[in-house]
Amino acid sequence: MSDTSPAPAAPVIEFLGVTKTFGDHTVYEDMDLQVRRGETLTIIGGSGQGKSVCLKMMIGLLQADGGQVKVDGNVVGEQGPEGLRTIRQRVAYVFQGGALFDSMTVLDNIGYALREHTDMGDEAIYDKARACVEMVGLPERVLQSLPASLSGGMRKRVALARSIAIEPEVILYDEPTTGLDPKNINRISAMIMKLQRELDVTSVVVTHDMPTARKVSDRIAMLYEKQFPFVGSAEEMWHSPKREVRDFIHGTLREAEARHGA
Amino acid sequence: MRRVIERFGAIVLSGLDWVGGLTSLALRSSAVGPRRPFGVDDIASQMVEQGVRSLPITSFMSLFIGMILAVQFGWALADFGATMALGDASSLALVRELVPTLIALTVGAKMAAGMAAELGSMKVTEQIDAVAALGADPIKKLVWPRLVAATLATPLLVAWGNIMALIGGMLIGDWVYAVPAGYFYETYVDELAPIDYIQSLVKGVIFGYLVGLIGCYQGFSTKFGTEAVGVSTMETVVATSICVIIADFYLTMIFL
Ligand SMILES: Nc1ncnc2c1ncn2[C@@H]1O[C@H](COP(=O)(O)OP(=O)(O)O)[C@@H](O)[C@H]1O
Ligand SMILES: [Mg+2]
Repeated sequence: MSDTSPAPAAPVIEFLGVTKTFGDHTVYEDMDLQVRRGETLTIIGGSGQGKSVCLKMMIGLLQADGGQVKVDGNVVGEQGPEGLRTIRQRVAYVFQGGALFDSMTVLDNIGYALREHTDMGDEAIYDKARACVEMVGLPERVLQSLPASLSGGMRKRVALARSIAIEPEVILYDEPTTGLDPKNINRISAMIMKLQRELDVTSVVVTHDMPTARKVSDRIAMLYEKQFPFVGSAEEMWHSPKREVRDFIHGTLREAEARHGA
Repeated sequence: MRRVIERFGAIVLSGLDWVGGLTSLALRSSAVGPRRPFGVDDIASQMVEQGVRSLPITSFMSLFIGMILAVQFGWALADFGATMALGDASSLALVRELVPTLIALTVGAKMAAGMAAELGSMKVTEQIDAVAALGADPIKKLVWPRLVAATLATPLLVAWGNIMALIGGMLIGDWVYAVPAGYFYETYVDELAPIDYIQSLVKGVIFGYLVGLIGCYQGFSTKFGTEAVGVSTMETVVATSICVIIADFYLTMIFL
């Protein structure tokens, strides 16, 4: 897996003046963002502000209405079915609730992309699936379980295993820790860092949880009023004098206090 | 007055929008569906899900439709002392009209609502996005098998329903109006030309296709939240009934 791209800072994913609206509701307006190769970028923002929409535009599940979204220099909006397939093979998506297929076993869930993208046989798929569940710290026997019989934390990890099965270059995580207890939150963030190290991937993590953001990311992008007015390290964010950044940090601190107080 | 016109205009527009969306799904599914791999396994399991599971209600409904129609016609025919014509009188109405239409309105609406609920909950839990994200085409994977299964299963159910309705008529003829079952059968079948069976089955095919299309479209266009699944399921039943009745009218005109 040698990387032929020249500068480590070359963007894998790039938004250029992107606008996205739903009916008369504008989610993004002239938005720019770059995801650098090899980094972990966290997108942080309040609920309903467009974090998931941003991730979905990266793999063409939603299309920008204006501007361009590029993956490895290819404009997502100009891709045909084959081009989109290639992008989706390289960029994996871990959905918020896991989005595991209820009617399929964990094995078939993890094997799904392998069946679509490769001509691997049943045995090879089983071996790969076992390796993937082990990577996320689950025992081999979960392969035969149905998603409904697993706990929330386990489902998140299966979703993770499913997205690494095709050996992506980029992993997009939509709120990987939301709705989990502190123990599982730590476990998942540790896992994100581990995959980052061991698989040498680029990660984009969407969250509204500041501690997770600080822990896992190289850079944080703050979503505020249809754009990303701040992108930088957690340190820079913490000391930023910008009013919107300060408001944001205080807001999340209060939220965290309320949670721990409860 | 202006408000009324505006309201009416809005309804017409959203109706057109809906028909447009439905048509676009029909076109897209016929573009991606008939290509390798055909998804035979998925189609087969949908046939079981929608067809085989609908056999009990189809049998029950059709039997009673046959019985009810025989009672009604028998009562009218008795006035003329013509109860022996019960078989001739019931066959056409049952085969051409009542069996296919009532099956589409009940069993078909059930199938469509089931698809809308299943796909709708997949939509709100992002499983449909997940299919796409994992490199497959949701229309090919989810819509196509359901569409084919509904289109094949409905005429088969209609054929079965026709047999059950005939049996229902025979029972009533024999019990209530003293028409021997054998005689009822002969006169019933005599009255039917091949075109009548064809009409019955063509209706089944087209209603089945509509049922599959509407169920899938409603599922895919489900909005956010679990409540949305309930809303779109309910709309599905209404939309299916209206579309089946309209299609029935046109088909009947064409066949006459
Ligand atoms: N497919 C869609 N159709 C219509 N509106 C959408 C769609 N997806 C998202 N939205 C709207 O866009 C906004 C941002 O949504 P989202 O990205 O899911 O927020 P979040 O930041 O919580 O992930 C919300 O107001 C939502 O209602
Ligand atoms: Mg979201």
